[in-house]
Amino acid sequence: MGVAGGAFLLAPALVAQSNCTFRVDPDEYLGREARIRRELFEQTRLARGWAGRAADARAVAAGEIPRRNFIDEEIFGKLERLNVPSARPAADEEFFRRIHFDLTGHPPEPAEIREFLVNDSPSKRNEVIDRLLYAPQFVDRWTMWLGDLLQNVTFPSNFDRQYDGRNAYYDWMRLAIGQEKSLKDLAYEAVSAIGNSYRKEEGGANFPLNGITPMGPIQDTYDNMLNRAATTFLGLSHYDCLLCHGGRGRLDQVSLWGATSTRLEAQRMAAFFSRARMIKPRVAASEFFYNSYDVTEAPTGAYDMNTVSGNRPNREPVGQVRSLTPVWQFSGATPGDGNWRSWFASYMVDDPMFARNFANRLWKELFGMALVEPIDSLDPARLDPANPPPEPWKMQATHPELLERLAHQFREDGYNLREFVRLLVQSSAYQLSSRYDGEWKIDYLPLFARHYPRRLEGEEVHDAIVKATGVATNYTIRGLETTSWAIKMPEPVEPRSNGAAVGFMLPFLRGNRDTQPRLQDGSILQQLNLMNDNFVLSRVKVTASAPLRAIAAMPENETVVEELFLRILSRRPSEAERGVSLRFLEKSGAARTAYVEDLAWVLFNKVDFLFNY
Amino acid sequence: MKDRFGFDWSGTAGTQFWRRPQLGRRMFFRHAASAVGGYFLLPTLATEKVASAAVTPRGTAKNCIFVLMLGGPSQIDTFDLKEGAWTPADLAPTSIGEIRWPRGLMPKLADQMDSLALLRSVRSWAAVHGLAQAWVQIGRNPIAASSRIAPHIGSVASIELGGRHPNPVLPAFVSLNVGSGIGPGFLPPDNAPFFITPNGSGLGNTTHRDGAERFDRRYGLLLEMDRELRETPELGAAPLQTASYNLAARRLIYNSEVDRVFLFDQNERSRYGSSGFGNACIAARNMLRANIGVRFIQITQGNWDQHENIYTPNAGHLLLGRQFDSGLGTLIADLKNDGLLEETLIVAMGEFGRTTGALNALRGRDHLLQQAALVAGARVRGARVIGSTNQAGSATLEPGWSRNRDIRAEDIEATIYSALGIDWTTIRRDDPLGRGFEYVPFADRDQYGPVDELWA
Repeated sequence: MGVAGGAFLLAPALVAQSNCTFRVDPDEYLGREARIRRELFEQTRLARGWAGRAADARAVAAGEIPRRNFIDEEIFGKLERLNVPSARPAADEEFFRRIHFDLTGHPPEPAEIREFLVNDSPSKRNEVIDRLLYAPQFVDRWTMWLGDLLQNVTFPSNFDRQYDGRNAYYDWMRLAIGQEKSLKDLAYEAVSAIGNSYRKEEGGANFPLNGITPMGPIQDTYDNMLNRAATTFLGLSHYDCLLCHGGRGRLDQVSLWGATSTRLEAQRMAAFFSRARMIKPRVAASEFFYNSYDVTEAPTGAYDMNTVSGNRPNREPVGQVRSLTPVWQFSGATPGDGNWRSWFASYMVDDPMFARNFANRLWKELFGMALVEPIDSLDPARLDPANPPPEPWKMQATHPELLERLAHQFREDGYNLREFVRLLVQSSAYQLSSRYDGEWKIDYLPLFARHYPRRLEGEEVHDAIVKATGVATNYTIRGLETTSWAIKMPEPVEPRSNGAAVGFMLPFLRGNRDTQPRLQDGSILQQLNLMNDNFVLSRVKVTASAPLRAIAAMPENETVVEELFLRILSRRPSEAERGVSLRFLEKSGAARTAYVEDLAWVLFNKVDFLFNY
Repeated sequence: MKDRFGFDWSGTAGTQFWRRPQLGRRMFFRHAASAVGGYFLLPTLATEKVASAAVTPRGTAKNCIFVLMLGGPSQIDTFDLKEGAWTPADLAPTSIGEIRWPRGLMPKLADQMDSLALLRSVRSWAAVHGLAQAWVQIGRNPIAASSRIAPHIGSVASIELGGRHPNPVLPAFVSLNVGSGIGPGFLPPDNAPFFITPNGSGLGNTTHRDGAERFDRRYGLLLEMDRELRETPELGAAPLQTASYNLAARRLIYNSEVDRVFLFDQNERSRYGSSGFGNACIAARNMLRANIGVRFIQITQGNWDQHENIYTPNAGHLLLGRQFDSGLGTLIADLKNDGLLEETLIVAMGEFGRTTGALNALRGRDHLLQQAALVAGARVRGARVIGSTNQAGSATLEPGWSRNRDIRAEDIEATIYSALGIDWTTIRRDDPLGRGFEYVPFADRDQYGPVDELWA
């Protein structure tokens, strides 16, 4: 293996001595890390890429992985205690492609890969991270994430946001990501919003609209406004259950907090929304704002217990109490003067669950699996390491202390998306390979002993093909700028104007943010599209693609093969792949150009193209 | 003992992190499966179900064809004919036995009346398109918490019936004439709908624009190039799963068996009414004839949502009705000739009905909860009506069945499951919410059930 035992082991004492910031001196660890990386780079260089076998396919002892921050302490500390081997750190190629997809939604250019590989600087990975965090494509990709989270849909099943609302919401989100708005401020604005849904400056007013519930009394809408806010920002989708029935006898095996929560408590939370008014403005049909919604707060009103119809069981008075006023369930606090939704929003963003929820969701975006799954079913009674639940309940998170430290750091960093992402991707844990040498066991799953591969989203597949072939199509989107990039779509059902693009992406299950969730499932249809759809076939042609044309003109087969792999798979070929490719090209004779196109087609259809590993 | 992925299941006892009270290992797997990483890195889980076994599914159907009449057809112009000054002459109301039927609009179905049962006491829960459309396809309130993970009825049929075919060519659940839709929910992706819009020229993307020979050369290179990756367990199950999808896709490409199903000529299309709906009916018939693994076929036809000009000749309901009739009427006749009708349940309905009596100010009809459905096949007794409505057709008068109330989407769901031999009271225990997933809501309270009178 070449990595001498003791010299590279982290000294835990050093970390304990570092003061409250949980960060450690970068140079110290980067120095060690650079040494290890060089060793491993040599081995992976010999192994020729990610698919090849290393000379010694032994998994790495967790103690040998450099610890860059508290994430690594927690992850590798636990692996060490359990004597579970770690995957090796990802080689540069693996890291470089992964960080590009995770931060910007598309792969790197071959020239960038080459430059990165020969760069000797021990801080080169952190530099790439920093550059990508501030790239315009970071805004595109993370606006898509935010749009999924806040459910930006033109025509959801419960109401019509319309294109102008959809665009205002999209612009508001883009601006928030672009200007590094604190996620705390964003959440506060969304929940407490007063404004018109068509106004970009008031775009957050689109969030309360998601709660609109037809075919029932207005209390159904208040309930679902709570539900959306609690699920999105606190991870507490169990309110959806509690608003029909209490937890006892139903959630007893699902959530300790839920099992002891009552319908009345949930309704008192929904009462925070009982002064919200969401009404279309009374203007002429020809006016721009005709189909918009004005989201306001009434000065009076409460949650009346007087329903016998609709989407939830009857609401009846409780003794003499005929209507409910708000009570924040976790502290018993009641709002003072002013806007009830603002009170909810301020309790919400200060609640420990707020930071935990974002930390957990963002962890999942980058690590493939959350510390608490499912991500919208957090149990407040089982997350605080200082207050573990009584037996037989177990702590809910795979790494309870880690989740708490992440939540704490997220708060400390001002709920800044970029800083939190930076924290995660700088860790050795994130930078582990997804290849696991040694015997993988199901038990290892919650330990993050390797990086988990994920399928590329439909937008990423589309953009990777467009970028690699250089063949772009302009898509018009109603009310927004024309663009060729799927990651810039304001919602996953776009570009509505281009059936071919949408048709190509459909099997990749982007969902519709409403009745169809975004899914990581594979399918036969995905494979048919990659093999035969005109979207791909029209692009693997030298007559259409300038980069392919340039590659096909290269005289040396070796260079052609290397260039194609770098361009399409963002890595060099393994020895085996190189051999297969060269033998293929050698047979081409006069049809060499066609064979180069064939090779390009094959690379787009390779299994590893479809995954971000 | 190791399974084919090399996993040693015996080593999984005593896991700490996902244990819940009294439900150790099973809950661990459930959680692991709900995470992306888990899904990739685990083989398919064995399901654990709790079925009540107190009911006996009818089991007369091997297949189901579900026609979703998107937008909501007017029940009083179709399956629950009510005549008045508004009735256009084109409808040509006729008595077939005791059933009044718009023979002018739907002549072929009139000829098949012996096979048709009309449910006239059906009532939707919601008059909002998105909600109601989802409702009839998942058989429960889409707003309910558990609906976040709810599978399409076809996906349930798939997971129950899909394993029976020894060598399927297509997935068990096929959805025709839409490109996307409600999927398998929390069920494994093999139960997802396979979307096809048939046009008679073959199955989409199963031929290679640059020619079959070139495809073979490319595909051969792909297999050689990717062998290493597709066979290595080091990345987990994901590449292996992708490889299996790829092989299944390859089987559809330049496959004459598949071509026989999706290639049909102008004459055939014309027999079925020369429409997209007709084409889908042909494909459905061919799929069942070919016995290639398909069990549940949804055909979506729309858009019936005519708030304006509902009776415009060659448009609106008059056009859609004729297309519906030419397609479905011919399909039923052909299936009958093939001997396939008696093992195929056919259900046609929209998500809700339309307002009754005189037309609205825009010469159309608006949304109404009251609706009607057409059922055929699977030995359903034909030439009759179950339930009846008031004079207008806007509310149920006689429910006409044992539960003595409106028939709901959940009851139709139960009917479909029962016909297919599926215990509709099943509660699955492999759901990620950990609460149990009922095939039909409130199964433990017997709140909904099949309309057994269809077979009486």
